[in-house]
Amino acid sequence: MTDTKHPQTRMRPRNMQNHLLPFHVRVWDVPTRLFHWTIVALVACSWYSADNGLMKVHLWSGSLLLTLLLFRIAWGFFGSTTARFSNFLHLPPKVFGYLKAVMSNNKPRYAGHNPAGGLMVTALITMLLAQVATGLFSNDGIRFNAPLALSVSADMSDRFTELHGILFNAILLLVWMHLVAVFFYLFVKEENLIKPMMTGYKHRDHLPPQLNLKFVHWAIALGVLAAAAAMVGSILFL
Amino acid sequence: MKTPRDLDVKIDEELQRQLLQAQTRRHFLQTCTSGLGALFLGAAAQKALSKDGGPPRLDFTRAPAQPLAALPPQFTAKARRVIYLHMAGAPSQLELFDHKPVLTQFDGKDCPASFMTGKRFAFITGIPKLMGTRFPFHQAGKSGAWISDRLPRLEKHIDDLCFIKSVHTDQFNHAPAQLLVQTGNARLGYPSLGSWVTYGLGTENQNLPGFIVLLSGGKTPDGGKQLWGSGFLPSVYQGVQCRSHGEPVLYLNNPPEISRPLRRRMLDAIDDINHQTHSNFGNPETISRIAQYEMAFRMQLDATDALDIRHEPAAMQALYGAKPGEASFANNCLVARRLAERDVRFIQLYHWGWDSHGDSEFYSLNVGFTDRCREIDQPIAALLADLKSRGMLDDTLVVWGGEFGRTSMRENRSGQQNPYAGRDHNPSAFTIWMAGGGVKGGMSYGETDDLGYEAVKDPVEIRDLHATMLYQLGFDHHKLNYPYQGLDQKLTGVKPARVVAQILA
Amino acid sequence: MVASGNSSNRLRLSAPVYCACVALVTTLGVGVAMLLRPALAYSIRSVVGLEKPPQAAPGSFYTVRVAPLFKEHCIGCHGKSRHKAELRLDSLTGAMRGGKHGAVILAGNLKGSELVTRLTLPPGNDKAMPPSGKPPMSADEVTVIKLWIAAGASGALPVAAIKGAPAPVPKIEFPEIDEASVARARAPLAPMVKQLQARFPGVLSYESRSSADVQINASLLGRSFGDKEFAALASVRERIVWADLSGTSISDASALTLAECKHLRTLRLANTGVTDPTAQALMSLSALKSLTVVGTSLTESHLATLRSKGVRVYDGHETSSNSNATS
Repeated sequence: MTDTKHPQTRMRPRNMQNHLLPFHVRVWDVPTRLFHWTIVALVACSWYSADNGLMKVHLWSGSLLLTLLLFRIAWGFFGSTTARFSNFLHLPPKVFGYLKAVMSNNKPRYAGHNPAGGLMVTALITMLLAQVATGLFSNDGIRFNAPLALSVSADMSDRFTELHGILFNAILLLVWMHLVAVFFYLFVKEENLIKPMMTGYKHRDHLPPQLNLKFVHWAIALGVLAAAAAMVGSILFL
Repeated sequence: MKTPRDLDVKIDEELQRQLLQAQTRRHFLQTCTSGLGALFLGAAAQKALSKDGGPPRLDFTRAPAQPLAALPPQFTAKARRVIYLHMAGAPSQLELFDHKPVLTQFDGKDCPASFMTGKRFAFITGIPKLMGTRFPFHQAGKSGAWISDRLPRLEKHIDDLCFIKSVHTDQFNHAPAQLLVQTGNARLGYPSLGSWVTYGLGTENQNLPGFIVLLSGGKTPDGGKQLWGSGFLPSVYQGVQCRSHGEPVLYLNNPPEISRPLRRRMLDAIDDINHQTHSNFGNPETISRIAQYEMAFRMQLDATDALDIRHEPAAMQALYGAKPGEASFANNCLVARRLAERDVRFIQLYHWGWDSHGDSEFYSLNVGFTDRCREIDQPIAALLADLKSRGMLDDTLVVWGGEFGRTSMRENRSGQQNPYAGRDHNPSAFTIWMAGGGVKGGMSYGETDDLGYEAVKDPVEIRDLHATMLYQLGFDHHKLNYPYQGLDQKLTGVKPARVVAQILA
Repeated sequence: MVASGNSSNRLRLSAPVYCACVALVTTLGVGVAMLLRPALAYSIRSVVGLEKPPQAAPGSFYTVRVAPLFKEHCIGCHGKSRHKAELRLDSLTGAMRGGKHGAVILAGNLKGSELVTRLTLPPGNDKAMPPSGKPPMSADEVTVIKLWIAAGASGALPVAAIKGAPAPVPKIEFPEIDEASVARARAPLAPMVKQLQARFPGVLSYESRSSADVQINASLLGRSFGDKEFAALASVRERIVWADLSGTSISDASALTLAECKHLRTLRLANTGVTDPTAQALMSLSALKSLTVVGTSLTESHLATLRSKGVRVYDGHETSSNSNATS
């Protein structure tokens, strides 16, 4: 479904110049944006609850994280154009090429994630998924056992717990890198990536000439989310 | 006329017929296949177990005709025999050994709610009042141990006693609690302490049982004869209940018409038949049976002597306060010393009547309890002095205790105050003392809270007590085991038990 | 440059300046983290070389008394494979470094040492250590740790330097019986023992399954056991550790044989016909700890001499000085 807010988008022919686009074009759909910021909140919540021994909160936070991650992965195959993996996942040579181009002030434009950003997204999702997975088998040594901790030996569970701790540091590192990159774009390249992720609209100057964005209805997103929730629920409660 | 030869043939035929009848197909199918099956399983299990290795097991097998033959302990033992004085009914530790001045301060006040929540009481209902000790306490001996005024003679030996004030149990009624203390399990069917000890160590004196039980106080304890039963151990290890007055063992003596030589001929004939049965069916219990008949025969002489206190000089009888012909605790204590001298392995005395609920004069602290104390004070003091002077206290482990403690609250049955001062059952804390057998005298281990209700410092489980006793007898409680129902059963059960090393000298 | 909608009043940095800012912010962040996570600060400092980890001397109070307590109660969760709250108590270094929230041991400061606080919390408390479900430390063990911290939590202070520490509980261990070595120890006298057991059933037995020493109990044979029989048993005399000859017809004729039982610890001669020559012979036994002579006619002076050598003598009078069962 195409964006109806700006009728010109519907009507414009394929290779129209940017200056005929409205100033702001919608690139990010609601599910993707909601996902991004909810993940931020959940990671923070998980961090805080783990540090302060609020294990029940940590369990819920992690479970919601898992649900959202599963949703995002599915959405990466069935969602809006900019949300799809096919849109931003590129081979390493392309990523390096892009980075080199950025350095030489000759930045190519992308509607959704640029190749480097795509790599970061993939890395983060993978790392978070691993974190949640190890978390499902972890224990806190005293009273708390994660849902799947008892289906492996105590030794295995301890090893998963150790891994869970190590992966956290890796996630911290990735988040730092992500923040450095985003603020680099903001302060050095003068391209605000934060606002679009909130409002969904990017300035036409940062958009490539050919734009062919399809948006999937949020109702379908809800359905995918429900399916993901069901999967996670079955792990937790069965 | 039938000649003797004809009769012979007839008897022979008759016996043959009976033998053949016994070996029917049904009999074969019933017993031998299961026997074969059991044999196979036994061999296979043995192979399976030994292939795995596992920790080596101690061998307790003996010649079938000598099931009580003495075996050496696992390692050097401090104690060679045990005299266990069980005060059935649960004596009040607050009136004897556990000095709680704070409780006295709160005497008469309502019991705080925090002590009532989550607890089950046998009889207390509503909100009872706290009750301080009925009798004054003072410090005695070089060790300065606290004791009430109820046991003035035992007090003189207080430096030999090791008090454990933090014993606790999870049973709040007599029969299961007694079973727990005596067999390690609150349910029926488990071997008693004495059975385990005689199973592991046998006995040196083959003319007397290795495990003898003497009762006093008028009734059998609530737990019944299972308290000295052998459970799943071979029945030869059960306690033999003897009496200190009248016939030492009921039905042990021959009826008036049967002389001893005649009895001997009878036994020889029974022996022959039993041996035949054994060669036919191979049940080792048959041989044990034979051994028990023989033991009973020997006991006719020796038990009568050992259990008769008339052989003791009058001064000795006076020391214990024993009077021949009575069924008293004093008599039993003197008999216990005689049995100990004759190397009986495990001597157990039960004295009944300590259940001081306060619902009658017999069960009141001021009257009944005081009477009980008077009944045990002199005999126990005499026993300890006697053992010590004979150099036997070092290797005889003397244990005194009940099955649980009594509450810090005055009992109010059905919400009404009982006519006499009394306390309800309290499994959370009670006091046991040990003497001799390598235990450190003049000390107290473990503490209860200020009101004497719960064991708070160094709590001791019943299985810990058992582990400690077995340790003094020279055993690792894990190794004194018997395979039954797929488990290597032990006295201390399956939960971890510790030896209370702090009380050992 | 064409005015782009979103950069007109935004700050613009050059790449190097930005990198410098990133470095600055990151350093500040790490600094804050170090403040909030003292353990992190400690790690960084020790990596840099500013912290000198304390060493534990072999005979020190820490090594002998404190470390075993940590080993028994703590390192399950605060050790090499698991370090809850980043606390490791399997070494002095780890213990002094502390955990996620900083040092748990402050030398000389009991109130400020979180370790002590946690150990002395009431058992039901969530933060009590060891946590509920694990066996708690006994009061004596906590006292030992408190004394150590109060004396400076050092790894060098010797055991004797800290006064008033409750005696350690003897560890009860059950070693497996080494059948081979027991058999070896029994080998020299084994045939003799077997012979004597056949000749005197129920009299001679090994002291325990793990020992090569033997014990004699002839009291059940009564008067039918005498000097002749004892002489026969004497062929194993160097291994006899316990002998009960009460009520037998043994006499002074066996005194010399008795004196040759060098490892005899307990001897019971109650109600026998032995007299002073036997008492004298017994004086040479250095291992003798307990002697029962009830119902004999030994004179008090000999018995007193034996008592002065530390032997517990039981002669039928309850004596308070020899009352406590010590071995």
